[in-house]
Amino acid sequence: MSHYLKIELLRMVRNKRYIIFVVAFPVVFYLLYSNLWGDQVDETTGLKGAVVLMVSMAAYGALAASIMSSAVPWAQERHSGWLRQLQITPLPGWAIICTKLIASMVLVLPSLLLVGLAAVLTQGVSLPAGEWAGLIGSLWIGTIPFIALGLTIGSLLPPDTAQPVAMIGMFGLALLGGLWFPVEVMPSAMKSIAQVLPSYDYASIGWKIAAGDAPDASSVLGVVGWAVGLGALAVFAYRRATVRA
Amino acid sequence: MNAIAFNGVTKKYGDVVAVDGLTLDIAAGSTVALLGPNGAGKSTSINMLLGLLRPTSGDIKVFGNGPDEAVTRGDIGAMLQEGALIPELTVRESVDFIRRLYPDPLPLDEVLRMAELTDLAGRRADKLSGGQTQRVRFALAIAGGPKLLLLDEPTAAMDVESRRSFWDNMRAYAAQGRTIVFATHYLEEADQNSDRVVVVARGKVVADGTAAEIKSGVAGHTVSFRLGLQSAAGLDALPGVSAVEIQADRVTVRTGDPDATLDALYRKTTLDVRDLQVHGADLEDAFLALTKES
Repeated sequence: MSHYLKIELLRMVRNKRYIIFVVAFPVVFYLLYSNLWGDQVDETTGLKGAVVLMVSMAAYGALAASIMSSAVPWAQERHSGWLRQLQITPLPGWAIICTKLIASMVLVLPSLLLVGLAAVLTQGVSLPAGEWAGLIGSLWIGTIPFIALGLTIGSLLPPDTAQPVAMIGMFGLALLGGLWFPVEVMPSAMKSIAQVLPSYDYASIGWKIAAGDAPDASSVLGVVGWAVGLGALAVFAYRRATVRA
Repeated sequence: MNAIAFNGVTKKYGDVVAVDGLTLDIAAGSTVALLGPNGAGKSTSINMLLGLLRPTSGDIKVFGNGPDEAVTRGDIGAMLQEGALIPELTVRESVDFIRRLYPDPLPLDEVLRMAELTDLAGRRADKLSGGQTQRVRFALAIAGGPKLLLLDEPTAAMDVESRRSFWDNMRAYAAQGRTIVFATHYLEEADQNSDRVVVVARGKVVADGTAAEIKSGVAGHTVSFRLGLQSAAGLDALPGVSAVEIQADRVTVRTGDPDATLDALYRKTTLDVRDLQVHGADLEDAFLALTKES
């Protein structure tokens, strides 16, 4: 199974779409935005723009990595017959979905770490070691609902539909969750949508930790709730996709 | 011991019966062709052997175990009809990945050699031609060193040259004492590459034996001669005759027993037989006779 994981990682690292959308985008946008607004200070939290944007872009990168590394490759494998190729080997069925989950979690790390590194090197962002660990750790674990969403999309849809749906889901969650623009500047209707989305709760945990505060219980509950709900949906969809008639 | 045992296996899709009470044993170490037209139930049978489809009724055993257990034990390798590779992985990476999933795989270099992929080992799957992709899929099927190899119309996308070398490679694998079952609708492939041909049509076995036995079991011989102005009356009453056709001045008699037909033709008729020709049935005639809608 560790060899299976290695293979999954290798193929994504060679995938141009993954490298461009997931690894390069968040870093490039961080560099751009932080040069424009990095010195602004948020009045309510006292956080510098460079830190807020670091969390936002890291969260966006992690969100994009979660969905892009799961939905489309999985839909393609089902459609192309690669899944059948695996099903007729001794590899147990549960190992396939578990490996996909673990591989996606590993593939989230480059964008998280690179955005953090860009913030430290170009904007001189510095946080206490505990906050770095808490921030990266929670942004990492917090990707589980998004990976579950990606696997659900990949299990239910054919590749040519999974591709746009994954893109819309990814940008929709990022935009409406306040990763690109602060929720505060949104019209009230969008604001109320934002507050029920997992992406908003997810980024909120990061912003709080970066400000040296404990995350809100409602945000944590939100992410956990979505993780359980989407996780159950992903398992259901996976079973439906791999059922033997 | 039997490698495969189908016992009264039926598979229905709604009202459509794909496999109809199939009972078939295949001995370990043999190479068997499942020959039949499209829709005969060949692919359905192969998918049931792999546990990808469940029989509606009946029972399947592979080396004495159910299909799922046989797959888990690594006893089966298969080349299914469709199946793409992971585009970003090289030939070596894909083959090595699959072979490591099996408990007792063949050495990587041997797999690459047997599938004629040694020179392509470093190439990515998205840079392979159709025929090369088929070779990789053959390599994936044998990589685990399975005791039973299932091939579902393996040469469908190949040109003549690739076909020839594919069957050479298949026979080399069979020579290691493995059991091979392949589905085909090419008669020639069945005739040349198997030691037993099972003809299936409409989900049932309609003939089973060596290619020679199947040919001889069909009333496919013809006896023809120049009739000229003589009457053909009475020819249909000769022993073995199933049909009489007249074209211009030639008559062609279809018979299951050419010896008896000829004997009677000379001894019991007064016809002047000129320019006599006798043809044996070929496998194609046998196949068409066996699989035509009754």
